Amino acid sequence: MKQSFYFTLTLLIAVLFAACDHDDTPDGPSIEDRFGPFELRDSLQVSAESVDFSEGESIFFTAEFNINLDWRIEITGTESGAFQRIDGFGTELNEDNSRWAGRTTALPFFKQETCQVVFTLPGRDDYTDTLFVEVLGSRNYPGTLFADFEEPASNHIELGNFEFELNLPQTGRTEDITAAEGDFYYSMRGTDDVVPNFFVGLINISSTITGETYIQFPTTVPSQLYFNFFVLHDNSPHTIMVIQFAYDTNDNGQFDDGIDETFAVEGDFPLAHTGWRHFSHPMSATGISQEKLEKIVAIRVLLISDNNAQPTPPLEVGFGIDYMIFTQGAPLQL
Amino acid sequence: MKNFRYILFFALLTLFGGLPFGSYAQDGSALPTEKPKEERPAVRFNGLGRTILQDTQIDGDALAGDTVTSRRLTDGEFLLDLEINAQPNEKTEVGSILRLRNEFGGFFGAGMSVEVRELWARGIIADALEYHVGDMDVAMTPYTFYFFDEEGSVNLPEAFRAQREVIYYEQFYHEGNTRRVQGAKLDFGLGFTKILREADFNAFISRVRGTDFLITPTRFTSGGQASFTTRKLYSDWNTKADFGFNLVHTFDDLMSGDANRGIRNTVGTFNWNVQIFKDEDYALNFLGETGMSRVIDKEDSTFFDRDDVFLDVGLKFLWKKPNVSVTASFVDVGPDYFSMAAQSRRIDLRNERALYDRIGNEAARRPLSMFDITRDRALYTFELSDVLMPYDPRFSNTMPYGLATPNRRGFRFTAEQGADQDLVNARIDAAAMTEIRGQGTEELKDFLLLRGSANLNVNKLIDWDSRQRITLGYQYESTQRGGLPVEQIDLVSNLLEVGVETELFDGFDILLGMKFLDARGNEFIPTIDQFNEVRDFPTRFEADDREQLYAAGFRYRFKEGVYLTIQYHGLNSRVQRPEIDNFNLNQVFVIYNMMF
Repeated sequence: MKQSFYFTLTLLIAVLFAACDHDDTPDGPSIEDRFGPFELRDSLQVSAESVDFSEGESIFFTAEFNINLDWRIEITGTESGAFQRIDGFGTELNEDNSRWAGRTTALPFFKQETCQVVFTLPGRDDYTDTLFVEVLGSRNYPGTLFADFEEPASNHIELGNFEFELNLPQTGRTEDITAAEGDFYYSMRGTDDVVPNFFVGLINISSTITGETYIQFPTTVPSQLYFNFFVLHDNSPHTIMVIQFAYDTNDNGQFDDGIDETFAVEGDFPLAHTGWRHFSHPMSATGISQEKLEKIVAIRVLLISDNNAQPTPPLEVGFGIDYMIFTQGAPLQL
Repeated sequence: MKNFRYILFFALLTLFGGLPFGSYAQDGSALPTEKPKEERPAVRFNGLGRTILQDTQIDGDALAGDTVTSRRLTDGEFLLDLEINAQPNEKTEVGSILRLRNEFGGFFGAGMSVEVRELWARGIIADALEYHVGDMDVAMTPYTFYFFDEEGSVNLPEAFRAQREVIYYEQFYHEGNTRRVQGAKLDFGLGFTKILREADFNAFISRVRGTDFLITPTRFTSGGQASFTTRKLYSDWNTKADFGFNLVHTFDDLMSGDANRGIRNTVGTFNWNVQIFKDEDYALNFLGETGMSRVIDKEDSTFFDRDDVFLDVGLKFLWKKPNVSVTASFVDVGPDYFSMAAQSRRIDLRNERALYDRIGNEAARRPLSMFDITRDRALYTFELSDVLMPYDPRFSNTMPYGLATPNRRGFRFTAEQGADQDLVNARIDAAAMTEIRGQGTEELKDFLLLRGSANLNVNKLIDWDSRQRITLGYQYESTQRGGLPVEQIDLVSNLLEVGVETELFDGFDILLGMKFLDARGNEFIPTIDQFNEVRDFPTRFEADDREQLYAAGFRYRFKEGVYLTIQYHGLNSRVQRPEIDNFNLNQVFVIYNMMF
């Protein structure tokens, strides 16, 4: 009995010691490094005062402080209004976490212009720093550009104002408002008040605008080919945009309305936004086949008025379109 | 530690249990009703009918200038749960609950639903082996598979219980801290003639999550217990022992869908309750549980592999004549102890609440309040979580994950006196804990938790037959941490509950209830990345909060399980946060509940 008691006691003590042995290295980041008093060690600096993104150059920012913080860099084009934000967390900005290669967070794209760089610490209103960077050339985005309207279209764009409903002074290539890319974009405005059939007007953009009879896509696999375009809108109601891709059914190398087969994304594009917005969809969303993709002879852009919701008399509708570009494998990365 | 000795021991013992001793079926709920055949109908119908109508209003400084939030919401439901039990033979029983539900305001089928709420079958094989398939409630030990109670209440006044009953019923929170799962379980027992009196073995497997056929694999939880009871080991003291081996294993089936990431969480424990001494007046027990957990997270060739141990050991003293029991325990739960089925909380703060989850023009999230805890079933869950779920330290900071809360070491104390129908019955719980591993610092948090509850059956004092009852509950919780000024923590919360239940005439009760919360100080609430891993402390939590929740109304009890109650509840919340200001919530509701 006595031996059993000592055996049990020894076993119990062994279990106690075994069960109380744990790794006691503190969990998580240091509280002191996270919430201690803020101290700036190195103020904001930029790796180069000017940069040519069109040559593949990039810049980065440096700064250092004593505690781990959320930080934010906001770059704004003084001419274009283009905006890029870089967020991070840590004790320093360096070439790994603050590099800028000319991309934009919100359209439009940056131009050749001076950019203001503002460095802030979200949650701390007591610190901000500013500097300026000169952009000598804007970024080249990979993909097959179809149209950016920077040059006069000549006979490559055909305007369809069949019902005389387009507001012609406000329809066409323009630079009235800052373009999403470059200086020009294409504006379409009108009112469906002559023949109330939803249709207002259209443009047919021939593939010859690229210098080829058919668009030379980076790939003809529909699911891997993305069509990207930027749309300007003022969030006014009732505007619907339709984009159709025309397949050269009769092999004559030009778009024949009513003969050539067209493909469009189901559901079209009801517009409800303000400013420029990036749209993108794989060509497979149009239902087109790989074979037919090889002979796209034109892209047609239609302005539609949502008459089901329009008041009487109907309101003017419209939009601007810019930078129609095809990319491979993924949507265009701004 | 990585050699799972417990599992091996468990396996050997299970084999040992399979030796040819005399076997018998365990009595219990899993058995078909043991009535004479001629008294037992082949098909029985039971069920629940419930009607809830509620009108909720919100106002306060938080809504100043708010043009978005609706100031008044009216909703409710009508439902009928029809429980059907069929017993095609003496050894088999099948059961189901069919639910017909219509939302308040739903017409011509809109808002109406018909669903199967519960479906199961059970029976006995060869008069020895019980089985149960389908929906089932499972509970094991507090460190293995256990659904610990929600926070925010000590001794809930009767006025708040009607709404809590709804939550409990909807989320399948039953006696014994069980958790609702879907699967199968087996149970059988053995009788012995020497040293051991009996042994009970059970095992279950359940599917706790389905696959999406892409990145989420099917998840299973399995487990089992081998429980033993001895005969008297030392007759002079009536010494005997209950002990058991417990194993829970949660795993993802990576063969389901295209998922390449999954977890394995294994918990093995040994629990015991040794009755050292017992006579007509006193009893002394030595009880506890110890074990270990291991969690593996596998993604392709990347592994997260961590294990830890726990110990819970204590003494319980029972003084029978005044019906007093006192328990004192030492607890040590490792920082990496991870037991998914024991640490998953009932309240999931990530859920969107049914009433005013966001308010104001900026749609700021309203902080958790006692109003939500007492009634919002959308806040509650019975799902298992593979990460330590977020919690609100104002309501529970010492043990937010129940007894199995990781990273705690200290002492627990419990004293109870009296039974529910005595003139006075009371209970005191205390816990003095400290962290084992610091969070963001070497400094450790110290926790002190005091909970007291008392019920005073006034009718016993004045010798009335009608129920006259006063209930009290109080919780004090303190969290302290020293160190550098930026590391220091000082959070104190007080929760007081007062309830009055008075039966004016037969079956007609007046119900009054009050809950007060006062929480002041600061804390750092970690963001848990996976399992028990602290990723960050996103912001300092600061509280200077006071909440009062009042309830008044009446209840008419037609018979046991059938009642109608109409009440008014009002919350005053003085919670000043950067994103939100004070607000008040007022609710009038009607609940008609009928068990049949």
